[in-house]
This record gives sequence, structure tokens and C-alpha cells, in this order.
Amino acid sequence: MALLELSNVHKHFGGLLVVHSLFLTVQPGEIVSLIGPNGAGKTTVFNLITGLYAPDQGDIRFDDSSLLGLEPHQITQRGIGRTFQTLRLFLNMSVLENVMAAAYGRTCANLAQIIFRTPGFRHEEAHIRALAEEKLAFFGERLQGYRFDQPAYSLSYANRRRLEIARAMITEPKLLLLDEPSAGMNPNETQEITHLIGQLRDQKGYAILLIEHDMNVIAGISDRVIALDYGLKIAEGSYHDVVTNEQVIEAYLGRKHEIRSR
Amino acid sequence: MEKFGRDEWVAQIEGRRKARGPWLRLAEQWQRVPLGLRFALFIILAAAVPLATDNDYVIRVAGNFVLYSILALGLNLVVGYAGLLDLGYVAFYGLGGYAYAYLSSDFSGLHWPTWASIPLVMFLTALVGLLLGSTSLRLLGDYLAIVTLGFGQIFVQLTNNMTRISLPGRAEPVDLTGGPNGIVNIDPISFLGFSASTVTHYYYLLLALLALILIVVYHLNNSRVGRAWRSLREDELAAEAMGMPTRWLKLLAFAIGAGIAGLSGSVFAAWQGNVFPNNFDVTLLILLYTMVILGGMGSLPGVVMGAFILSVMPEVLREVELSRYLFYGGMLFVLATMIRPWPRLVLVLVGVLVGGYLLKLAVMALWPTLVTTPEVASSFLGRALQAWLIIPPQATLIGNLAFVVVVPSLLFLSRTRYTIVRLIALIPTLYLLAFVWETRLAVEPSITRLLLLGVLLVVLMIYRPQGLLGQRRVEII
Amino acid sequence: MDLFWAQLPQQIINGLTLGAVYALIALGYSMVYGVLQLLNFAHGDVYMIGAFIGFGIMTALLPDKGDPLLASPLIILLMLMAAILGCGVLGIGIEWFAYRPLRSSPRLAALISALGVSFFIQNAIQLTLGAKFRSYRGDALIPPTLGWDIGSARLSAVRLLTIAVAVLMMIGLTYLVRRTRLGRAMRAVALDREAAAMMGVDVDQVIVATFFIGSALAGVAGVLTGIVFTRIWHSMGFTAGLKGFTAAVVGGIGNIPGAMLGGFLLGLVEAFATGFISSTYKDVIAFMVLVLVLLIRPRGLLGAAVLKKV
Repeated sequence: MALLELSNVHKHFGGLLVVHSLFLTVQPGEIVSLIGPNGAGKTTVFNLITGLYAPDQGDIRFDDSSLLGLEPHQITQRGIGRTFQTLRLFLNMSVLENVMAAAYGRTCANLAQIIFRTPGFRHEEAHIRALAEEKLAFFGERLQGYRFDQPAYSLSYANRRRLEIARAMITEPKLLLLDEPSAGMNPNETQEITHLIGQLRDQKGYAILLIEHDMNVIAGISDRVIALDYGLKIAEGSYHDVVTNEQVIEAYLGRKHEIRSR
Repeated sequence: MEKFGRDEWVAQIEGRRKARGPWLRLAEQWQRVPLGLRFALFIILAAAVPLATDNDYVIRVAGNFVLYSILALGLNLVVGYAGLLDLGYVAFYGLGGYAYAYLSSDFSGLHWPTWASIPLVMFLTALVGLLLGSTSLRLLGDYLAIVTLGFGQIFVQLTNNMTRISLPGRAEPVDLTGGPNGIVNIDPISFLGFSASTVTHYYYLLLALLALILIVVYHLNNSRVGRAWRSLREDELAAEAMGMPTRWLKLLAFAIGAGIAGLSGSVFAAWQGNVFPNNFDVTLLILLYTMVILGGMGSLPGVVMGAFILSVMPEVLREVELSRYLFYGGMLFVLATMIRPWPRLVLVLVGVLVGGYLLKLAVMALWPTLVTTPEVASSFLGRALQAWLIIPPQATLIGNLAFVVVVPSLLFLSRTRYTIVRLIALIPTLYLLAFVWETRLAVEPSITRLLLLGVLLVVLMIYRPQGLLGQRRVEII
Repeated sequence: MDLFWAQLPQQIINGLTLGAVYALIALGYSMVYGVLQLLNFAHGDVYMIGAFIGFGIMTALLPDKGDPLLASPLIILLMLMAAILGCGVLGIGIEWFAYRPLRSSPRLAALISALGVSFFIQNAIQLTLGAKFRSYRGDALIPPTLGWDIGSARLSAVRLLTIAVAVLMMIGLTYLVRRTRLGRAMRAVALDREAAAMMGVDVDQVIVATFFIGSALAGVAGVLTGIVFTRIWHSMGFTAGLKGFTAAVVGGIGNIPGAMLGGFLLGLVEAFATGFISSTYKDVIAFMVLVLVLLIRPRGLLGAAVLKKV
């Protein structure tokens, strides 16, 4: 049974058809990469899945129930976490708080418990904190110790990307949507993040839908690759199959023009 | 975890902290005291006020301070924590006041006991807050501001005009609000047989409420709800995507803020004994906002400090001599921070003093009718100023003209970069400023305090948007 | 019901007059919002200053006893020009001192600053000119009996003047925005400030021009208000500003034809409310209109949907 299933999804903005009869599945525990030139509709697919946009046509099913009509926070609570292409951290909050905040959907302290500081509340707070520290520990030494209380805006770019992933992780997702996680990283960092994403699948068991431009990352970890162009799926399969597909090459590099002699 | 060493940023912060003056180090020592202790100290200090003085006026001012603190805390919750620009907040305060007045006064004939009326009033205001919030939820921040501002205006209008409402089943139209004459003879707060009647009673009542609300708000802030509010303020979309129900959170903030305002309104109505429509106008709204901003949005002690400064300052301004000291002292302070090194400052001040006095001598010699001797002031400073300044017979008119000249001059001076020109032009400007103060501003303290409020807001936003105790925020626009 | 039809033409005239004033104020709001994404709370007070400037000129040229120093049309023209100049410069000054330093700050900062400026101006006028009402002597300028009967309604010359001046200004503005280089620059800055700067548009100059024009229009509205509705006072800017903003939002903020439409619409609604329902609750009704429009169509009647890339 597919974890995530998009069937015949259409989306247009005004007159522009951005996603066109899209069929897409993600199985539990696999890494699917979504590639395509800029403007192909990849981030729009993410936004459709997470409920920021509603599809004009078609269905999106997660764990065998439809996601249509749900609010984004409800979709997150069902088990889909995401990061953003242009980082969207809570900059003025500390590193630890950024992660702890996202644990909201997995906690249940109500107003009375909060106001009266019941033991149940205190217990839950300690639990959230421990959970957050555990997620941050996944990234090694970088987001540990004194870093916990530093505001997020003081982090380097690569650390910010890691923090965003940690924040998505604490929502206890079954499916992680990573939007260009290696954007702006140097080769070393790219290698690290590739390794990390692999570990997310192997150690944590997340299914991952990945938007990426860097082919090294995709080659390194994808179980399957899907290529989009102008909102249409033009290829699907293993990395090798997709990368050598003529339509895909044309989408990225353009068509070879034959020179006609008069 | 020193594998990567302390990074550059942290090193910078440490360096800067050590470089700052003694004040900051004092503040840091204060911060080391555990929070509970600091809170207790504050409450004890505040509770000691009625014991230290018999003067009802002082206790009343202190009571106002506590009342405004509570209001400002509620506003801080809506604006500072959840980031919702609610410009109609004062209407909830008014709603609380009027609702309590209606339920517990001769006006309607109802005399509900306090334990029944206040919870109902709080519930009512929270409900209205919820309603207003849910209609404005889809609106962009700016639109929310306008809709809430409109709501605040409408409230004043309605209370002024709902004196003849025809209800079905009643032959005569009903007066719901008493119109511009308000509702008078409101029952005092009473519970367990005790009825609050003096200023001191209400002061302690308000102080107890403040302590309670401080605790509640603090707890809320340090919970998942508080974190969610702050995330909401940082980036609403990301918060929603991370599983936080933003709609519900906004409504909650709105409702709680409204409830706090409603509660304050009831106590205010009982304390003052009457309510009028213009108790709840835009001026109060701006005052509250300035308190929150001055103290630092999102900072609890900051908000209380802001409330203190802005409820005590206007009272000080009423006293002519005291306000004189405040004004000239403040002016000197600002000049001292802006003109360095100090020889230049001395030069400017000497220039003003000497130049002004020479001017007076010249005018006295040439046009003696232009100089009048006003009634002698009571303080040394007052007398000195009167001896030094020229007070013409038509002080009001000339003072107005001087005001119109001084404002643009000050503005230009704050923006020119040429130091020499600045220093020289400062001399006549300062003289005119003193002149304007003596002839116009000190004479009309109620308008002056509003003027200063406006100036304070602009200056705060440009030079210190985080207020006194707030945190410097980084924002991607 | 017959009463309704009988009164309708007159209320329409009243509504258009009121609407003309609101439209002029709304235009200033919309233009500044389009270019800076700032709600200029001080705009209403610029309108108030315009009314006072007109009052000053009128008092100088219309002595209490004796003949006016100039012909009426000339006096009115002078009043309008003085208001345009005075308010335009004031608008530029406000932008320079209170908003420019906050260009790169979060939007809330500029909003609060605007509140502060508004408060300051109101109270400065109260300090220097007092809190009592001043009355325009409109009857000395334009005889109140001068007018035309249109069916059951009476179109007085004063009202016609107001509507005519307002419409003229709007035509001028539309021409400016559509056909001139400055207008194109204004539209570009409103759409994307950074891109416009990179295309060689002097953004600061455009913003200054926008403030000048918007404030000048508010000044004209102030003078017209004085002439038609006679009474002016230091806090008239607050309510009028709020109404002007309502009109701008109803029409679609940032949209110039929208501001005009919103203004006239609001004027008509208010006139109808005053004439047919109750004059005490006209502001409440106007506010309800605002809320209704925003609920049904959050971007305003003519506003464009804002698409944000996530």
C-alpha cells in the first residue's frame, strides 16, 4: 500500500497550468527524488501535499485517507513533515525552541494544565525538551550544547538547513518532504547532507520525497527518481533510466537543432 | 562540547558585554536573582506604597499604574506574543466597564453580586473578542489593524448614542448606555461580605490581580502555547506547516487579551464609580501601545516598566516646577548623549545662556514694553529661567509661532550632518525650545503629554524599536 | 416607499459630494500603500491641515467687514493651491523624517511611527490653534442659494464645485499614472521596488512624488470639506482618515481606480444611511460595510489577488 498517492492532480494559478495530470506514489521507507528545471512545479507539488494549496482536480491520499480539505496543521499531524526551499526558521527564537515549538502537534497540555503548572504539564515539557535534544543530536556536535540557547539567526547557512530538518523531524512524520536540502552548500556539506538523508531513511525509517538539483545527491541516495517539466511527469524510474531519458535531457538542455541546408 | 570551539559570534557577544558600562552589569546582577524572588520583591515593594504614604492622590496614581499594567499585559499578549495588531483593544476594556456598570448599578436596577457579574463580564468580553477575531482572521495584518480600529471607534459611538433603543415587547425605548452622561453610581466590588470602598482597597485588589495575571501570562508563555504564539509571530506559514493550528491560536490570544481587558474594565468601573464613553477613546489606546512598545514588546517586566513610566510621568508633568526639572534635565541628557566630546557641549550651553541673556538685555534696552515680569516661580530653576528668558506680553501667540519654528528646526538639526552648522544652529533652537516650553508647553500639561507621546513613538521606532527591555529582533521582510 | 424615491436624487447628490471628499483622501492612502506597503495614519491629519490652510487664506482675504480683497473664484483657487503646496510639502516632510529611516525595518515599526506622527500633528494644532471649532465662511464665497434644481433634488453650487474639483483631480491623476514617465515609475515601484531600482528608477524620488501628490489631494479634500461642510477642528482628520482608509480598502488597496470607486461608494452608503436610516449610526453602518466587503472579498472590489511564492 503506497504511503502517499497523488492521482490525476491538476493545479493552475490564473491561466497558468502549473501541475498537470500528476500521478505520483511514495512507498514507506523509500527515497523518491523529484527533479526538473526551475518552474516545473516541484515546490507546488509539495505545497499541494501539505495543504497550502488545494488541487483543482484529483486526489491526494496519505495512509489510505484523502488529504483534501484538511488544514495544513492537520496534515502535518497526520504524519507529513517538510522543509522549505527558502529557509523559514523562527529566527528570533533559540535553536532548541525552534524544535520544541514544532512538537505542538504531538503534545496535549491544555490551558488549565498550563496555567496551574500541573505535574502532568511539567512532565510533558521535560519530555518535549528531551525529544528536541534527541533530534538535534542526530546532527552531531554542530547543534549541541551552547548552541541550544542561541537565536536561530546566529546560525550559519548549513546549520540553518540542519535545524529545519530537525524541526521537521520532531513532528514525528512518516513522510518527510525535503525541498532542496543541499541548496547553497559546498561539496563537503553536500556530501554530509546526502549521507544524513540516507541515515534518515535507514535509521529512522522515514519515507522521503526529495526535491533536488544536485545530481550527486540524487545519485547517492534515491530509490526512485521522478522528472517533471512544465507540470507534467516526463520520466520515472531508477536514477540511470531517468538521467539518460531523452525528454529529461531536452528539458534541462534544450533540443538539438538540426542544421538544414537550403 | 568544544569540538568546534566557541565561534566568532559568541566571542563578539562576550566582548561587547564586558565593554559596556556599570549600568548593564548592575542589570545583569539583577537578572541573576531567581525569577520568583524578583517577582516577590516587586509585589512587596508595590504593596508597601499605601503603608508609606497617607496621600490618597499618590495611592490613586499607583492604582492607575497597576491598572494600566494589567491592561498593557493583555495588549502585550495580543500584539507582542501573537503579533496581531489589535487597534480596538480599548473597546474590550470599555465593554467590560459598561457591562459591569449595567449589571451592578442603579442605572438598570440590577445589582448583581460581584462573584456573578465579573465572571460573566469576562466571559462576555472574551466572546466578543472571539467573534471579532474570527471575522478578521483571514485579513492581512494591516487590514486587521483597520477593522479593529473601526471597531474601537464604533464602540465609542455606540455608547454615546444607544440611549433610545426600541426593543420588541417594550413600549418605551430603552436607554442602554446613558449616552454622553455615562452610567454613574456603580456598585463597588464586594465579596465574602467585604466591600471595597477606599482607594487603598482597590489598590490592593488591583495589585492582587496584577500578580495573578503576571503568573498566568508567564506560565502561558513558557508552554507549548507560548512557543506556538511566538512561532506564529515569526512566520505564520511555517508555524502552520509545523503542525500548529494558527487559526485557533490567534483566536485564543484575542480572546484572552479581551478577557483581561474586560476584567480590568469591570474593576475600573467599580473603582471610579462611573463610566463615560470618552474613558475608552483612542488616546488611551495610543497610551497603552506606547507603554508596551516603550517597555519592550514581549517582555513582561518591560511592559510593567513602560506602564510605570507612562502613568507616573503625566502626573509629574502637572506639577509645573517638577516638570521643569524633568524637561530641562531630559534635554540636557539628550544633548549629552548626542554631542561629544564634552567641550563642545559646554560651548553650546554657554552659547545659549550667554546669547539668551544678551538678547534679553538688548530687548529690554530697545523695546522695554516687550518684556514683562511674570509671577515669581517657586523653585530656583523657575526663577532663574524667568530672569533669563524674555516673556513678551502676548506670550501665547508668540509661543505658538516659536513652536511652529522650533519643530522643523529640530527635525532638520537631527538630520544634518555638518557638525559646525549643527552646533551653531543648535544655539538659537535651544533658546526657542526653552521659550516654547515656558510659554506654551508647561502651561498646557494635558496637551503636552500627548505631544510628547507622539514624539516618543516616532523616536522609539527609529532609534530603539525594541524598547527598554525588549529583544532586538531580526526580521526578513 | 414613496418617500424613498422622492428623496433618492438628493441623497445621491449628497452621497457624491461626500464621496468626492472620501475618494480624494482614499487616493492618497492607496498610492502610499501601493508604493511603500504602509498605512499612513498621518494622512487624515494632513487632510485636516489642508482644511486649516484654506481657512487661513480665506480669513486673510475675506475681512469681517467690507469687501473681499479678491474675487471669489480667485480666493477659492488660492486656497486650493495653498493647500496643495502646504500639504504636499508636509507629506514630504513626514516621509523624510518619520518613514524613511524605517524603510528597512519591519512594517509594524513604520505603522507605529505613523500613529505617533498623527498624534503629534493633531495635538500640535490643538496646542497652537485651540480645540474649538472653526467655521469656514462658505456663504461669503459662494452664495448658498446658488444652485440648480434637478427634479426633486437641489444641486447647490457648493456641492457641484466639490464634485467637479474632485473629478478634475482624479482625471489629472489618472492621466499622470497612465501616460507619464513618473506614473510608469510609480506603478513599477508599487509592483516590485527592488526590480524597479535595478531598472534605473530613482525609487526615493518616486516615493517623494507619491507622497506629495497624495498629500496634495488630501489638502484639496480638506479645503473642499471646509467649503461644503463648514466646520473644521483639530481632530477631524482621525475620522475622515479612517473613512478614507475604509474607502481605499473597499476599492482594493493600492489600486487607484479602486480608491475612487471606494470613495464614492462609501459616500453614497453614508448619505443613504444618514438620509434613510439614522444619522447617529452612520459611522457604524460605514464600518459594517467595510467588514462585509472584507469578508466577502478580502482584496477589495477592484483589488488584485496577491500571490505569494512559498
